[in-house]
Amino acid sequence: MRLLRMSKQAIRAMAENKTRTFLMMLGVIIGVATLTVITSAVLGARAEVMGKVEKWGIDQISVMAGAGRKPGVPQTIPTTLRIEDAQAMLSEIENIKDVSPQINRRDFPVKYAGNSTYGVLIAANPNWSSVWNTRPETGRFLSEEDTGRLARVAVIGKTVQKDLFEDEDPVGKQILVGNNPFEVIGVLEARGTSPTGLDLDTRVVIPLSTGQKRVFNQDYLFMIKTVLHDSSTMGHTVDDVRALLRERHNLQPGVEDDFTIVTPTQVMAIASKLSTIFSVFLILITGISLTVGGIVIANIMFIAVNERREEIGIRRAVGARKVDILVQFLMEAVSVATTGGFIGIIVGLIGLKALAGFIKLPTALMWESIVLALFSAIIVGLLAGIQPAKKAASLNPIEALR
Amino acid sequence: MIEVSHISKTFQKDTVEVQVLRDISLTIQEGEFVSIMAPSGMGKSTLLNILGCLDKSTEGTYVLDGVPVHDMDDDELSRIRNEKIGFVFQSFHLLPRMTAWENVTLPLVYSDTNSNMKARAVQVLESMGLADRVDHLPRELSGGQQQRVAIARALINNPRIILADEPTGNLDSSSGEEVVRIFRQLHAGGVTLVVVTHDMDVALQADRIIQMKDGRIASDVARARQLEEVAT
Repeated sequence: MRLLRMSKQAIRAMAENKTRTFLMMLGVIIGVATLTVITSAVLGARAEVMGKVEKWGIDQISVMAGAGRKPGVPQTIPTTLRIEDAQAMLSEIENIKDVSPQINRRDFPVKYAGNSTYGVLIAANPNWSSVWNTRPETGRFLSEEDTGRLARVAVIGKTVQKDLFEDEDPVGKQILVGNNPFEVIGVLEARGTSPTGLDLDTRVVIPLSTGQKRVFNQDYLFMIKTVLHDSSTMGHTVDDVRALLRERHNLQPGVEDDFTIVTPTQVMAIASKLSTIFSVFLILITGISLTVGGIVIANIMFIAVNERREEIGIRRAVGARKVDILVQFLMEAVSVATTGGFIGIIVGLIGLKALAGFIKLPTALMWESIVLALFSAIIVGLLAGIQPAKKAASLNPIEALR
Repeated sequence: MIEVSHISKTFQKDTVEVQVLRDISLTIQEGEFVSIMAPSGMGKSTLLNILGCLDKSTEGTYVLDGVPVHDMDDDELSRIRNEKIGFVFQSFHLLPRMTAWENVTLPLVYSDTNSNMKARAVQVLESMGLADRVDHLPRELSGGQQQRVAIARALINNPRIILADEPTGNLDSSSGEEVVRIFRQLHAGGVTLVVVTHDMDVALQADRIIQMKDGRIASDVARARQLEEVAT
């Protein structure tokens, strides 16, 4: 009862000086808003990465041409990775179930009628669809016949479809890939963003033979993706692939690999490293703004204690104990911080919405983040309020009333 | 009701010790109306603060309502102030952002009561003739009205003792008379009243007048004799 009465008075005190209360809240609002954004973004990103990696396939490894390659990072590549390497991997390494040799090129211009966009051009064999676990949603995928006759046919991703055709049915239409006319034969099912942040629905898949002879004019590969029989012995298979390719590429001991083997664990690690860098940065901002917010609250509380000496004296004279005064000022600090926390959560959620409009930021509204944000706000209020509240409680009532 | 014996109070001012009260012994019976007179700075406020359990004497004993309070801790003294004592100050000391009735309920915030605080406050304000000022802020009230709100606050918890420090000091004469009239009413109702003042007209309303000088009690006489002395 007594506490309830006192908390009512704390809330009144907050409402009585709105400008000051808002200033006190500002740091907490910013801190909690960023905290809400971070936790939602990080948790969302993590959930999304896990889903991605599952889609990517945990029983798959990729061989990329060039040393020290990282998925998603473009760099000039050597000409040593060949179709024959892919065939040798399939025939000589028992655990390899299937291989998809391919040439990829990012930001490749694709046009239809007046519309144009940029996609990831992939030249691959018909088994690309099963290896990447990505099937056509409408139309059909590449066939052996397409490969045999170097057909100018393409299967496009959802984003490309949307950018070029809007609502029109693309199957059977002619598009320009670079300067080459291609017939659209199918649209791939939506795949979303890759663990490394690439929009997978911008892919345009054409036959490998067509790509080699008619578009890229190169016989070397960009990468070979493989499917394994048994993913539990992936480590061994990676060693086997490395040994085989080093031998085929005539690399002497001591010479660096001219290829990079990427496993799902590595993809996961890179993705989580990206989100870690992002979150470390934002946690720093959160920490700083919550600290500044706390200092502001503490300072304004000290001023308030000085201004309200008479009030403290009156309250003591009519029977408030030291602890009552302490609790009163603590409650004021905590309610300011908590209200700031609530506003911060709302601002954070609005920020998340706005952010989602600009970049493809995977987010998840998580109860954890709201609880964490409120909890931090209460802690900030307690820490900031304790010294001013102690000072208020220890005021000599006689001097305070003078 | 109030029994203080041999109390003294010393303040440490820089390196000098200032003795404000020297060996004061005083007994005030239940229901008495006592005024304390002294020139400024002669320790009368300090004495009142000690009687009101806001301050502690350096030496001596104080028994209030049969309970020794001189060795109580701060929390126990706060409780005594809340339950047994009502203060009235020269400068009213109302909280400026609270309405009259909210100011009056302030002691109830720190008591164990669960009753309807507003109803009680309105009742006491009515008895002070402030029925139409219940929802006013202090700055919307005259000085006399503010002091009556302060008296209502002192009375809300039905204290045994009212301690007033220059209650008419900031008031014009008619407001001052009104306050004195209320004190006489309270006295008639059986409340113990101790009023510190240097206004002889106020002091003469009391049954008993104590004069202080240099931190000591210089005289302690019933009003009848005081009147004689004034007359002669």
